Amino acid sequence: MSHVSLKNLTKSYDGKTNVLSGINLEINDGEFVVLVGPSGCGKSTLLRMVCGLEEITAGDLEIDRARVNDLPPALRGIAMVFQSYALYPHMSVYKNMAFGLKVAGKDKAEADVRIRNAARILKIDHLLERLPRELSGGQRQRVAIGRAIVREPKLFLFDEPLSNLDAALRVQTRLEIAKLHRELQATIVYVTHDQVEAMTLGDKIVVMHDGLIQQAGSPLELYQQPANLFVATFIGSPKMNLLEGVVEVAEADHLIVNLAGGQRVRADVYGGNTAVGDRVNVGIRAEHLWEDDNGSERFSGVVDLVEHLGESNFLYLTLSTGQAMVVRGHGDREVKIGDAINISAPSAAFHVFDRDGNACKRLKPGNMIAAKRVHA
Amino acid sequence: MKRTFPWHIAVFLAPAFVIYAVFSAFPLIDTLRLSFFTTSDSGAQSWAGLLNYHTLLGDPNWSEGFWNAMRNNVKFFLIHMCIQNPLGLLLAALMSTKGVKFAKAYQTAIFLPTLLSVVIIGFIWQLILSPLWGVSEKMLGWVHLQDFFAPWLGQEETALYTLSLMSVWQFVGIPMMLIYAALIAIPDEIIEAAYVEGASAWRIFWTIRVPLILPTLGLTTILTFVGNFNAFDLIYSVKGALAGPNFSTDILGTYFYRAFFGYQSQIGSPTMGAAVATMMFLVILGGVAVYFYFIQRKLQRFSF
Amino acid sequence: MQAKHNGATRFATAGLTQIVLAGYTLLALFPIALIIINSLKSRAGIFDDPLALPNSETFSLIGFEKVLHSSHFTLYFGNSLIVTITSLVLILLFGAMAAWALAEYRFKGSRILALFFAFGIMVPIRLGTVSILKLMVSLQLVNTLTALVLVYVAQGLPLAIMILSEFMQQIPKELKEAARCDGVGEFKIFFQVVLPLIRPAVATVAVFTMVPIWNDLWFPLILAPGDDTKTVTLGVQQFIGQYVTNWNAVLASLTLAVLPVLIMYVFFSRQLIRGITAGAVK
Repeated sequence: MSHVSLKNLTKSYDGKTNVLSGINLEINDGEFVVLVGPSGCGKSTLLRMVCGLEEITAGDLEIDRARVNDLPPALRGIAMVFQSYALYPHMSVYKNMAFGLKVAGKDKAEADVRIRNAARILKIDHLLERLPRELSGGQRQRVAIGRAIVREPKLFLFDEPLSNLDAALRVQTRLEIAKLHRELQATIVYVTHDQVEAMTLGDKIVVMHDGLIQQAGSPLELYQQPANLFVATFIGSPKMNLLEGVVEVAEADHLIVNLAGGQRVRADVYGGNTAVGDRVNVGIRAEHLWEDDNGSERFSGVVDLVEHLGESNFLYLTLSTGQAMVVRGHGDREVKIGDAINISAPSAAFHVFDRDGNACKRLKPGNMIAAKRVHA
Repeated sequence: MKRTFPWHIAVFLAPAFVIYAVFSAFPLIDTLRLSFFTTSDSGAQSWAGLLNYHTLLGDPNWSEGFWNAMRNNVKFFLIHMCIQNPLGLLLAALMSTKGVKFAKAYQTAIFLPTLLSVVIIGFIWQLILSPLWGVSEKMLGWVHLQDFFAPWLGQEETALYTLSLMSVWQFVGIPMMLIYAALIAIPDEIIEAAYVEGASAWRIFWTIRVPLILPTLGLTTILTFVGNFNAFDLIYSVKGALAGPNFSTDILGTYFYRAFFGYQSQIGSPTMGAAVATMMFLVILGGVAVYFYFIQRKLQRFSF
Repeated sequence: MQAKHNGATRFATAGLTQIVLAGYTLLALFPIALIIINSLKSRAGIFDDPLALPNSETFSLIGFEKVLHSSHFTLYFGNSLIVTITSLVLILLFGAMAAWALAEYRFKGSRILALFFAFGIMVPIRLGTVSILKLMVSLQLVNTLTALVLVYVAQGLPLAIMILSEFMQQIPKELKEAARCDGVGEFKIFFQVVLPLIRPAVATVAVFTMVPIWNDLWFPLILAPGDDTKTVTLGVQQFIGQYVTNWNAVLASLTLAVLPVLIMYVFFSRQLIRGITAGAVK
């Protein structure tokens, strides 16, 4: 069993400005936690603090209820997979995997069993005598993971492990890491800047920005109930459409917002924290807009640009009210630049963010799936 | 397609080729050739086969001096290998440790003597070690070692070691810089990976960093070798062409100079000089060959 | 990099590192400082307390006066300057041209030619001294600065060619091809495209070549020992041999020989160190 808690972790290099401030996070046994955010958000620093490569300025790091702030990495029971793999160039694959065990004074025979076992799981048994430079990128990646596995750590740390691989290999390795997680029932903290990696791998995703946790939750939670504007625009592709407006009606179960340009939108969100007259942002994802009038909230616009993806296409519109909007349309439907089209969405599909960028809770987020199915 | 003669390539190459060929390559070959000739008293040169080598290695007047110079030169080289290069490694290792303050300043200062003329360095140390001036004695007195002081440069038993250490002092900057450059080229993540696996700084140094810079250690070895077996300036400026006391600091460079230009009663002989130069050439070539065929081949260069 | 696990141990390690480095730095600088300090003192000051800084009582420039009066120090200095700079310019120009030819064009014998030049890196030119002297006698170049320049250019070319051609191989192909597509001639490409691009390497080569030339004793001693052609290194060597008992003069001449290098180093040490570090990584 391993359980990790980060309590108020803070990092500062100069004692004045915080790179990370007050990070609180619980990581349960067997959980796959992904730290995601734009570069410079502090996610790698946080991982390195958990690892023991960066000093913890303030706060407590506990692994299995024991405070480990002052323990060197090797005594924390962690293993790290580095972005560049960091294989020892002068050692064979076998020796690379054996190094940590040897340092720890492990019995040779036991080390051998562990190494061969890990190599079998990772399908690198035939590469054990090779040097790292004789391996492909994907094989090096496996060795790096193997080096972590043999140590049987309580916690695996991955620092952007896929960023040095090409696109096809990245998808394949992603699947393999997910599989490995299931097989080993390992507890993993994984850093990436790629939201697709985060969404596909994580049991829990921690979105970071400016040294703060913006939101932590399951992939679906983040998608359906983004806590603020940052998370809303960071998760999902293309970016969520945002329309500025002023609250006209604020009820517990909905808001009516008067958008710039004069159009009104009803959103099924909790309106208790919002007052009439507040400036807000209304959000709607491209994939939640329909190319017809069936939704209760309707817009019309002219197509500026079409991106064909095959199964779907992205239509970039200028609305009659002047704002820009992206719609995900059906791939079979032919749309040309300059076409005037009508679009709509149910009121359950909308997000509303108050002046500070915080989300009003959506009341029927799951309804979108049902609504879409009826529509199709 | 008809190719015209690539005039531009010829023009690019010609100046360097001509100067290098005439003033470096040709003299070297000509020296090897001259070593098979002998000079008569009138200055005329005639073919002599291996006579010069026979004299050099067989005639006690010559061979004693030659082997003495060779022995001294080997000692000179070994002292550099045992002190200069390990010291360079130590300094470079300390400087390249993460978070060491003033590393650049230390580097700059320690490299400075390398840039000064060997002649100047020789004189500076000669003054400092001079019993007349008494600086060394005085400073040894601070640690109550004044009785240990001796005119090291003047004693037969200590002169060569003293000169070697002066040379080490001057040139330690070169291995230090080369090794430093190699050490900082090792990616941080590799060191961190070993650290995360529990290896101590000491263990990381010997099992990760040193193996990864072996090619550079090989390079410093061969550079030291060539430099040492070609040395002359230091001994000549401190001890003169006679490399005293009693030839105890004589190395191949000074021996070559005397063979060529003569000293005291012995008249200089270009052809004997050429023979000594050829011997030096063979020693250096041997060292370089060993380096390329046995050492450099075995040491893989790691690209990170 | 590594977190503080045991503050005291880490502090001690860092302290020990500083002591070793600072200690050796002191050892490296002390002799040079000692000479410079004492060159500014009177004879009595030099012997009474060698380690003291000059004060109003012991301050004296008598050594410098002696050096500048009884030797042609400025002439020697000028000679060194002429020889070093001329050699340097020729090495860089000819070296870059040859490096370009070897790096850019594949032609019959290009590999052998590259090896031929590489040979000169490992085998010291001094070994050919007997023939070089003979050659210079027959060319009537003994006791001329030209003789020194020719030898130093021959000595410096191999390393220059190696470093520069390695650098030139890294110039993107597209750049040269773009120029060729525009119909630019090979010479123009070299002088206007290639040369400006290799400036950083040129600086590295300049340092590597300049220092041994400025400091050399061997060839000035053998090829140009005449009074008009002495370089500063040879001049100082002979001056000290002559005035060995005049401590003021000896110290002053050493200081004069050290100072130019010291001043240059103060200005260029950063580029120099960076050059060595970058060059050595390859």
